[in-house]
Amino acid sequence: MNNINWKKELRLLPCYLIVCVWVVFTAIMIFWILAASLSTSREIFSGEVHKFATGFHWENYATAWRVQNVSLFFRNSLLYSVLSCVGVLAISAPAAYVLARWEFTGGRALRIGLVIAMSVPIIMIIMPIYSLAVRWGIKGWVLLVVLYILMRVPYTTIYLLDFFATLSRTYEEAAYIDGCSASKTFLKIMLPLVQPAIITVTIFNFMSVWNEFFMALVFTTNEDMTPVGVGLLNIINSMKYTGNYGGMFAAVIIVFLPTFLLYIFMSEKIIAGVTGGGVKG
Amino acid sequence: MRKNKSMIFWFCLPAVLSLLIMFVYPVCRTVLMSFFQVESVTSGVGEWRFNGLANYIKIFGSQTFRISMKNMLLIWLVGGVITLALAMLMAVVITSGIRGKKFFRAAIYMPNIISAVALATMWIQYIFNYDYGLLNSVVRLLGGDKVKWLGSDMKFWAMTAAFIFGSVGYYMLIYISGIEGIPQDLYEAATIDGAGQIKKFTRITMPLLTGVIRTSITFWSINTTSFFLWTKMFSPIDTEEYTIVPVVYLYDIVFGGKGVATRDAGAGAAVGVVLTLIIIAVYLIVNRLIKKSDLEY
Repeated sequence: MNNINWKKELRLLPCYLIVCVWVVFTAIMIFWILAASLSTSREIFSGEVHKFATGFHWENYATAWRVQNVSLFFRNSLLYSVLSCVGVLAISAPAAYVLARWEFTGGRALRIGLVIAMSVPIIMIIMPIYSLAVRWGIKGWVLLVVLYILMRVPYTTIYLLDFFATLSRTYEEAAYIDGCSASKTFLKIMLPLVQPAIITVTIFNFMSVWNEFFMALVFTTNEDMTPVGVGLLNIINSMKYTGNYGGMFAAVIIVFLPTFLLYIFMSEKIIAGVTGGGVKG
Repeated sequence: MRKNKSMIFWFCLPAVLSLLIMFVYPVCRTVLMSFFQVESVTSGVGEWRFNGLANYIKIFGSQTFRISMKNMLLIWLVGGVITLALAMLMAVVITSGIRGKKFFRAAIYMPNIISAVALATMWIQYIFNYDYGLLNSVVRLLGGDKVKWLGSDMKFWAMTAAFIFGSVGYYMLIYISGIEGIPQDLYEAATIDGAGQIKKFTRITMPLLTGVIRTSITFWSINTTSFFLWTKMFSPIDTEEYTIVPVVYLYDIVFGGKGVATRDAGAGAAVGVVLTLIIIAVYLIVNRLIKKSDLEY
């Protein structure tokens, strides 16, 4: 199979053209933004970002990071993403395990409820949640972490449930005979066995929280709790006054990089996860 | 294995509570709220005054809301047809046996995983920019006059185009997994019988993908009813009629926006209920119109 079948490749030429146009367009866009983030506003406006006539302006990144507070937004988003990824596993993994293993009263209802909850529009829940948060006096970053955790419970539970269901019961039987308690069996034996699923679901949760915008916009009251999405919007809105285009494009790159890098290294896993879950005809 | 009742209870409790607090209670309260006059989101039930369908009459009487619904419908219909058609095209191309399949698949899906705020900024500040943008550079190269892509008459379609670009990859993945589920021997048999690429697509791929297409239409509908971020990015400071969609209308009347004199959480709830009913209606209609394929493979 070392020889290229030229006849076949030629027949596929239109196919190559279609995908190449799309990919080249994407690449141009990203490389231009990257180049612009290293240029001055004047170079950007004269359309000469690719020449780097005055060198690489790394100070755009320094400005974005320190002056425009991207470091703070970045820290906040990281905090939200990491804490909610851990929190949601603590809630979802045990529930997914027992739902996958035993039939019990309310189990079916819980499962159906979780599936329906996945497609409930955010606008149907945002108002009561807002008033609940005010009444209970929960605010600041704690509020957003809690909301992100609760938000991701249905998806995470259903995803892990499918994986627990594929595991053989012999593991638990052996553990039981050896005198291992049920909850210890779950923690020490079953949980490590679904580790691949936990990694995939955590990547999805991380990206989803990192990119979340609506709740962040509604609940963010000050810079100390602003995540990257809302922070970037604020930077763009204040652009009219600062005129620092290079700094803004640097901020775009900083916001874009974490999930992009994650994707570069794990695209196969992520793509398999997109269609691996509940998507069926 | 023995059934351990207390373990089941304690393992499920946090998930059950999450579901109740985050989904069941809010949905019930929003539905209820849509039938009451509620000024502030934070008003307790004691301050609510029942007013029947008045909230619904109010929003449908509001021109802003009607414009927002019209915009959403256009995004759903025009954007939907283009997005799903492009996604299908990309899926067919990628499964056609080209080299670098994994790379192309990953590259086309990529816009879905990056921050949509960053993606929208790339489009607004680069592709559509009047002074140095990509589209105007191309226009000038072809000898044309620069176009105000973000001017009032073009803004809606500029926004829709950017949204389509960001969405195609996801539906493409759904279609790819559908196409890969079709046994290869069907295509081989068709080739022996002398069927061309187009015939194979219309006679084998499409009929066997009806279930997947149905799912993708439902997903697209859910996606467009929650359309918000792109409008906020294309009209960041003031809401404009060119880009307004129902969720932005809701956001403005509930949480306050420019030009909103009095806040009205009850009307906001009514908007939410209307959108949810639309999703349910689309789901039911699509399921009725597109019957699951009787074909077995």
